[in-house]
Amino acid sequence: MRSPAIETDGLSKQYGDVVALDELNMTVAQGEVYGFLGPNGAGKSTTINLLMDYIKPTSGTARVLGHDPWNDVVACHQRVGICPDRFETYESLSARRHLELVIDTKRADDDPRALLERVGLADAIERPAGEFSQGMEQRLALAMSLVGEPDLLILDEPFTGLDPHGVALVRDVVEAESERGATVFFSSHVLGQVDLVCDRIGILYEGDLIAEGTLPALRDTCDLSSDATVEDIFMRLTDGSAHAGEVDA
Amino acid sequence: MALPRWFPVARKEATTLLKSKGIWILAPLLVVWGYGPTYISWDTLGPDVTVGFVQVAGSLLLPLCVLLLTYRSIIQERTSGSLKFLLGLPLTRTEILIGKVFGRSVGAVVPFAVATVVLGVIGGVKFGLFSPLRFIGVFLVTVLYIAVLVSVATAASAVTTSTVRVTAVLFGGFFLLLTLGWKIVGVRLYSAVTGNPVNPLDPPADGLLFAILRLSPGRAYRTVTNWILGLANSGGQYTSVATVLYPGHSVNEYVVDAVFSGQPVPPYLHESIALVVLLLWGVVPLALASYRFNRGDLA
Repeated sequence: MRSPAIETDGLSKQYGDVVALDELNMTVAQGEVYGFLGPNGAGKSTTINLLMDYIKPTSGTARVLGHDPWNDVVACHQRVGICPDRFETYESLSARRHLELVIDTKRADDDPRALLERVGLADAIERPAGEFSQGMEQRLALAMSLVGEPDLLILDEPFTGLDPHGVALVRDVVEAESERGATVFFSSHVLGQVDLVCDRIGILYEGDLIAEGTLPALRDTCDLSSDATVEDIFMRLTDGSAHAGEVDA
Repeated sequence: MALPRWFPVARKEATTLLKSKGIWILAPLLVVWGYGPTYISWDTLGPDVTVGFVQVAGSLLLPLCVLLLTYRSIIQERTSGSLKFLLGLPLTRTEILIGKVFGRSVGAVVPFAVATVVLGVIGGVKFGLFSPLRFIGVFLVTVLYIAVLVSVATAASAVTTSTVRVTAVLFGGFFLLLTLGWKIVGVRLYSAVTGNPVNPLDPPADGLLFAILRLSPGRAYRTVTNWILGLANSGGQYTSVATVLYPGHSVNEYVVDAVFSGQPVPPYLHESIALVVLLLWGVVPLALASYRFNRGDLA
């Protein structure tokens, strides 16, 4: 059996007295599209920062594609593509240079132009990123995450700053990557965007994973009708802040 | 042999530096700063006075500019979030630091190399053919000095969480005290530790005093380059050190040969040890910073 794409066990992060993430137990199977949802400050970025080795855990363990994400960072990142949240690009470097940095470090053989075409940015290939709008920066970051056909794509708030065309583009990219066989793990606080793209949903609230499962399964648990949205589920689950526990998909 | 994994990061750093506007002003500034023949230095060195220009170019303006070009290289990426791209690459954090140091060093060497060639041409035309070996030797030691400065600045940039703090540590501490003012600070330190007063024009023949002075990366750099120039064993600028060989002159440059005349010189005051000091400045701060950088939260 293939190891899960992401597996965390009691993963916790504290900053002083503040608990950013409280004993997260989560498994993302290879090949699935997993939507990691919750309001701002729920711990989504903390989780992704931990999985990407941007920060170190207070306690708990994690495996990313079978690797220890903190001690085996080279082997791990070789197979992971990351589109981070709250980043700036390198203002003096062209879009091409940005992609070459990732392509050459990963020793991949992607064509920068082809990648930029996938995100609708091929016209801007030689322009310095300092001239880019926020939406263009987001597209560039998405193109960088696709380098080397990663087995796991981690997209942190990929819909931020995008117009409706951009949102549709992210959906297309996620579908195409999933089709190729990649696992896609993305976070979003915009709950409406996600039901269309993900196989499974995890809902994070105040550092806890309060529910996890397919959309129909979550509707059943919450006694909601079959047209209930992720937003309805979220409201039901956090009402009175009673924790619903995990749901089997 | 395959290129190291961090090479693309180094290329990105060098490109970024060479695309910044300030860097190309550096080359003409270094020429103007470095060129300054004196009667005594010409008399002592002959055509090799041109090699001395390179030392002057590398002595004050260069370190200041190299620190300015490097001190934000990590903290800026951390604040803006672009570090998330580098950290997301298949590289260890130490490799990211090495790529940064290598790339920024290459970027900073380029304008210095241009200035060196110009100084060589001007000096060669005016004062005749200098020793090419000495010229290349001083150039290479200056390249090492640049890498050392980049390494120190990168180390400081990697462990700080605020741009204000790294500015204070590097420019107030490292540059002002250790590089620019060490002749005064180091001597005060010696007097405080030993209780011996020091007359700068007639210092005691105490190895400790000279060893303390030589800990400054700037003085270590000049000790090595004076050695290459065939001058006396001192961390002072070559124009002052050349004066020492003149009868009736004394200089406040702590020249080992003059102070220890007739007495055995401690072996650790040999010029080659200054090269070791320089190398240690290049390695130790970066290694300590790397230790912390590897363990910290960076987002």
